Amino acid sequence: MDYVPITNKDQKEMLAKIGINSIDDLVGDVKLRCGKLNLPPPMSEMELVQHVTALSEKNKIPRYFVGGGSYNHYSPAVIDHMVLRGEFLTAYTPYQPEVSQGTLQSIYEFQSYICLLTGMDVSNASLYDGASALAEAALLSSSHLRRNHVFVSKGLNPRYLQVLKTYCEGAEIEISDKIDEKTACVIAQYPDFFGNIEDLQTLADEAKKAGALFVTCVTELTSLAILKPPANFGSDIVVGEGQSLGIPISYGGPYLGFIAVKQDLLKKLPGRIVGLTTDDKGNEGFVLTFRAREQDIRRERATSNITTNQALLALSATIYLAAMGKDGLINVAKASYKQAHILHEKLKEVGFEPLNDKPFYNEFVVKATKPSEEILSSLLKKNILGGINLGENKLLVCCTENNSAQDIEDYVSAVNE
Amino acid sequence: MSEIQFTKEHEWILMKDNIGLVGITDFAQKQLGDIVSVELPSVGNEFKQNDAMAIIDSVKASSDIYCPIDGKVVAVNEELLQSPELINKSPFESGWIVKLEPSNISQLENLMTEEQYKKFVGED
Amino acid sequence: MKLIFDYDENITGHVPSESIDLDLPKHLMRSDLPLPNVNEVDVVRHYTNLSRKNFGIDLGIYPLGSCTMKYNPKVNENLARLNGFSQLHPLVPASFSQGTLELIWKLQQYLKEITGMDEITLQPAAGSQCELLGLMMAKKYFKDRNEERKKVIIPDYSHGTNPATSSMCKFQTVTVQSDTRGNIPLNKFRDVLDSDVAVVMITNPNTLGLFEENLSEISDLARSNGTLLYCDGANMNALLGIGKPGEQGFDMVHLNLHKTFSTPHGGGGPGGGALCVRSFLADYLPVPRIVKGDEKFSMDYDKKKSVGKVHSFYGNFGMLLRAYSYIMSWGSNISRVSKNALLNANYLQSLLSDVFEQPYNRKCAHEFVLSSKNLGARSAMNIAKRIMDYGLHPPTIYFPLIVEEALMIEPTETESKESLDNFASVLKKISDELVKDPDFIKKSPHTTKLGRLDEVKAAREPNLRWLPKFKV
Repeated sequence: MDYVPITNKDQKEMLAKIGINSIDDLVGDVKLRCGKLNLPPPMSEMELVQHVTALSEKNKIPRYFVGGGSYNHYSPAVIDHMVLRGEFLTAYTPYQPEVSQGTLQSIYEFQSYICLLTGMDVSNASLYDGASALAEAALLSSSHLRRNHVFVSKGLNPRYLQVLKTYCEGAEIEISDKIDEKTACVIAQYPDFFGNIEDLQTLADEAKKAGALFVTCVTELTSLAILKPPANFGSDIVVGEGQSLGIPISYGGPYLGFIAVKQDLLKKLPGRIVGLTTDDKGNEGFVLTFRAREQDIRRERATSNITTNQALLALSATIYLAAMGKDGLINVAKASYKQAHILHEKLKEVGFEPLNDKPFYNEFVVKATKPSEEILSSLLKKNILGGINLGENKLLVCCTENNSAQDIEDYVSAVNE
Repeated sequence: MSEIQFTKEHEWILMKDNIGLVGITDFAQKQLGDIVSVELPSVGNEFKQNDAMAIIDSVKASSDIYCPIDGKVVAVNEELLQSPELINKSPFESGWIVKLEPSNISQLENLMTEEQYKKFVGED
Repeated sequence: MKLIFDYDENITGHVPSESIDLDLPKHLMRSDLPLPNVNEVDVVRHYTNLSRKNFGIDLGIYPLGSCTMKYNPKVNENLARLNGFSQLHPLVPASFSQGTLELIWKLQQYLKEITGMDEITLQPAAGSQCELLGLMMAKKYFKDRNEERKKVIIPDYSHGTNPATSSMCKFQTVTVQSDTRGNIPLNKFRDVLDSDVAVVMITNPNTLGLFEENLSEISDLARSNGTLLYCDGANMNALLGIGKPGEQGFDMVHLNLHKTFSTPHGGGGPGGGALCVRSFLADYLPVPRIVKGDEKFSMDYDKKKSVGKVHSFYGNFGMLLRAYSYIMSWGSNISRVSKNALLNANYLQSLLSDVFEQPYNRKCAHEFVLSSKNLGARSAMNIAKRIMDYGLHPPTIYFPLIVEEALMIEPTETESKESLDNFASVLKKISDELVKDPDFIKKSPHTTKLGRLDEVKAAREPNLRWLPKFKV
């Protein structure tokens, strides 16, 4: 298992052509050379597989009733078979469009799907994850309006808030508790971290009155199969996480950030954008467009430094949406909603207090009769990850179509013991 | 009436009624190629001579447009937001970029005349 | 050309809310969802056919400079899909994730060894995010020392992410011109190195494919000036087991796992980043840190000086896994990767030295830059387009910006001698064609399904998404 095809014979010929005696003559300043690396001996492929498999077996996979930014939906088999094709997997960024129409068209379809789900006008080719997408939205708003405050609604995922704070500190943007003439954008999560679904029109109007942009953050994208699209209540920017669309939970990454905007903000979008055009014979084809926004051309005048996007995952999400179709996606959303509401009812029946004051999608908060640590611990003993501990006996619980009726029964009986 | 004047960065400025009309030259628009987007300053922004005050993007490049003399922006050519190609088609007329109220009119003396500019770009 | 949306002739937007028989108030529900329903056979045919319009490393040489398009080992795809890894939720307790935490921790150790640095984070999703993190950490470091430093020095050949990142952190970028040997000249460097300079960002070897010959002096000067030295490690493929940035005077170095460590590019991502730092900067690294106790691995969030987080969870674990497997397969033999990367690049350069101009008269590192300006204006573009007619992928063109008609070529160590010989002979042929029949070459590619695409039209008449034909 050696990925270097050069043989000793090749090497001799090549050295001769270059005109040197050994590879050592190529390695630059000798005093900057290091000694031998302290790494384990090389492994054959068989040994590698045994080693890594053994590592994987040190993990335990429970049944999941947890979300919080990572959702355990079912991923159809077709996705892997498509993305493992070498033409998709081993291609680079499509800078030479004539030989990259596969990647380019699939990104155009991804951009289209994001616009259709969110109701917005244009989307980009993806960003690293939902949290950094939110941070990019704050940077965009700040540079567009030349204001340096952002307002964050209290239902934002706390991890997203941490990432936002980190980016804002670097960019000298302040997170303020007021919406006024200094506010570049107002941010709200939909559904929020606690699962609540709220009509955000009022908040959007407040933002508009202050001349600020309204940013909606969606961390569970299957929710948009049934919920009112954020464009309909005045969002200028919609960002979020596409992991729910067939991307493995994989311990938190790689995931799939997205950003979609109204037409007038198109030229402010960070990252790559694919557009449709024609060649010199009138044939339709796709290209990366509005390239001059990006870091390699704008350099220090760029508003974002992003290069790599999440192309293969955007492709995965696109294939997920194609394979599920409108009907399939609605069914996933319905099932996720229903399972969550069934569990919610049953927990109420055994004395848990419901804490959502608004309707919820597939995540909800309940107050247990015992401390959350105890509840979660008894569930873990049954190999169930029961939710996120919010402190003070409160739990944030999530269901998807992957949670069976039996799973729900087992959950309820474990907490009722 | 005054004459049109030029900067080394290929901007032109034409004074009329104490307001300077500013754009880029035909030479510059040719160098940039097909222009696809313009980022304009806001009315009221003030710039010093040689400050970057606008950005022009072509398909493959991005160029700063520099302020020819100290002044305040009193108007911007909003048509460029929808039709940036006006700069290619008509760089001296409908492709104008900003109108400046100068705060230091003597700086005009440092700029080139049309003859000098033509020589500068090798067109004589 | 058929879009996935065109497969559903009956596509309608309408979703009667009654059909969703859920207990949600109507004003919170959508009444339209214009997505197509497509049967599985059509899904498979559509995307399989799309894939066949792409070029990839699995098809042939992909010599893009500074991208390190090396072969992506298939076994790593299998390993990434092991249930125990892909099905693990990021919020499981540490007792459920010991395998994953051990892998991350071990990868940290190996990358520290490879770079010669003290501490590391694997949270960034890509190289540019590492740069952002590094500059944010530098900013906080100086703030804590009550030093207000507002400048970052960047050489003219740098990748665009360097100055873009500097702007994102509100630093002022100061560019220093490289010299005729591709080095940063010490006199020019001294001229700009004042007490206001926070960081110097250097790529070594640089984007010209050359080792920085003034590195020791530059790092000494930076150190005495209290300035941090950042290494953009995108070109680490030249240094594995050969040189350690940590021993070359750097305070921070980032690695691109999707370049040097073989994780697949996937058409533009996902990638994976590693930021390695000297111990005096470790407290600023993002949380959580993955640490090892007596016998168990865990996450440490208790780092008060940390800049915070750059990723919603812990980074691109799937890519960390692939990079780990890659390193484990090479082990202590990993210098063979870099040595052959250097050999392949120098060999290819020697085959092309009489075809194109060589702007820098030096042995190259793992990549090299040529200029086709002897063949006229726009020649690099025309050569790139014509290469596709021969079934190969062009190199990077028009970068670095300081070389006219630049062709930046990085073959990587996974190309055979035959592949290199073939690539060189194709380039020789095309340079002849450009002289004998320039008009024909200027209209290439001829054998691909599409000719040159109108990028002006794409920007002036933007069509960036499918629109339903019916009213929604």
